[in-house]
Parts: sequence; C-alpha cells; structure tokens
Amino acid sequence: MTSANYLILSSIIFSIGFLGIFINRKNIISILMSIELMLLATNINFVGFSNTLDDLFGQIFALFVLVVAAAEAAIGLAILTIFFKKSGSISIDTINKLKG
Amino acid sequence: MTTTLFYIFSTVTILSSFFVVFSSNPVHSVLFLIFSFFNVAVIFLLSDAEFIAMTLVIVYVGAVAVLFLFVVMMLNINEVLVKEGFLKYFPLGLLLMSVFLTELIVVFKDLEFIRGNNSGISISNLLDQGQENTKSIGLFLYTDFFIIFQISGYLLLVAMIGAIVLAYDNQLSVKSQSILKQKQVKKDDIIKLK
Repeated sequence: MTSANYLILSSIIFSIGFLGIFINRKNIISILMSIELMLLATNINFVGFSNTLDDLFGQIFALFVLVVAAAEAAIGLAILTIFFKKSGSISIDTINKLKG
Repeated sequence: MTTTLFYIFSTVTILSSFFVVFSSNPVHSVLFLIFSFFNVAVIFLLSDAEFIAMTLVIVYVGAVAVLFLFVVMMLNINEVLVKEGFLKYFPLGLLLMSVFLTELIVVFKDLEFIRGNNSGISISNLLDQGQENTKSIGLFLYTDFFIIFQISGYLLLVAMIGAIVLAYDNQLSVKSQSILKQKQVKKDDIIKLK
C-alpha cells in the first residue's frame, strides 16, 4: 500500500464523521460516535505513515490517541447521563443552559 | 494480495461508517461502529502494526463501544425524534463534506513521501535485530517516551475520577453515613431525662 491509499481512506472516514456531526442534531450519542470515527481516521493516518515511512513513532503516537479517545468517551458519556437525568432528552437544542 | 485485502477491508469500513451515521436506531449505530473498528484492526494488521491492532480491539470494542451500548440502552431514546431535522441539515452537511473530501483527495492523490527516519526509530532495523512489533514498542515507550506515557496515565486517572464524580448522585433514598454529622452529635441530642 502507498501512503495515498491510507490518506484517502482516512479522509473518507473523517468526512463521514464530519457529516455525522452535521445531520444528527437530535442525538448527542451519534455525535460522540462521529467523533470516535474521526479519531479512528487519525489513527489510520498515524499507522499508515508509520508503515510507509518505516518509522515506529507513528504507532507509539497512535497509542496516545487511543488514550485520549477513551478518556473523552468516558467523560462525554458521564456528562450525557446526568444531562438526560436532569432534562429528559439528549437533543442539542435543549442544551442552552450555559447561554448567558 | 495485501493490497487487494486492503481494498476489501477499507470498502467494508467505509460502508459500515456510513451506516453508523445514517441508521435511525442508535443500537444499530453502535454495532456498526464496532464492526468498523474490527475492520480497521485488520487494516492495521496488514500494515504490520500488530500491537496497535490488538489494542484497538481491546480498548475500543471491549471498553468504549460497550460503554456506548450501555448508555444507549439506559437512556431509552425516541427513534422518531432522533431523525427530526435530518432533512434540514443534510444538504448543507453533504455540500461541506463533498468540498472537504474533494480538496483532500486532490491534494493526496499524487503526494509522494520520501522514506526516511525522522525520529530515528526504524522498523526494518528493529526487525533485523530480531525485535518484534510489541517488543520494539515497549523498548521505546518505557524509555524515550516515558514522560508522555506517565502523563497519559494521569490523564486516564483524571478521566476516571471525573466520570465517577459526574455519574455519582447522592439520592435521599439511599442511607449513607455522614461522618461530620456523627461527630457533631451532643449527648443532649440523644439522651433526654424526663
């Protein structure tokens, strides 16, 4: 595989995640899943370049991206559950309490 | 052979990511997310990154996706409401996505990268020395990248404490011990002589 293969695959997955953030306005869980897809696309880039450039640092950095993705999912879902308990819905339109 | 497998698995990954975004049932979304993680793990295996592939399966499929599944099942979401506003935002989103994707593909199509060791850790040299993928990651993760490794451990600790503090609620129905109140109790509050 050349580096163009990895780049095009990861940009397609990144764009799908980008589109998911746009169209799922009523469901924060779908938005969090789209963010996971985008982080997966960055991981594909790191591992792909690690393979094509013959450099191990890409794989080590992909591990740190995994750590950040796991932390983000845990915090995001915890916030989501307490928000659902308080307001009874997970639509973005109802999240305007922080508006000044 | 490897290239053919790469194309097959990347096609399946792209299709399942589409279903993650477009399926109306959130449970199906999570299951397609798990499927696309599996396919990306196979792509990592084809790229000679065995350790990252297995970590992806354990961390994402075993922890993150199951967490998503738990939350989806706990929240009891209305399926009809979820797709409200789909047609309102879809044209703008599709336009922005196609512009973004076309730009990226036009740039990436003829890009050439020179093989060279920017960080000085060559995989082929390590393979010549008889170090496997997992062993060589361990050799560098615990020495050269030790500070970053420790900081990511602290990040996970902070995320764990944060998630517990956020999700914990002191309900009144649950009887719990309050040490401060226990210490402040006087003798007169409990024993009364009449």
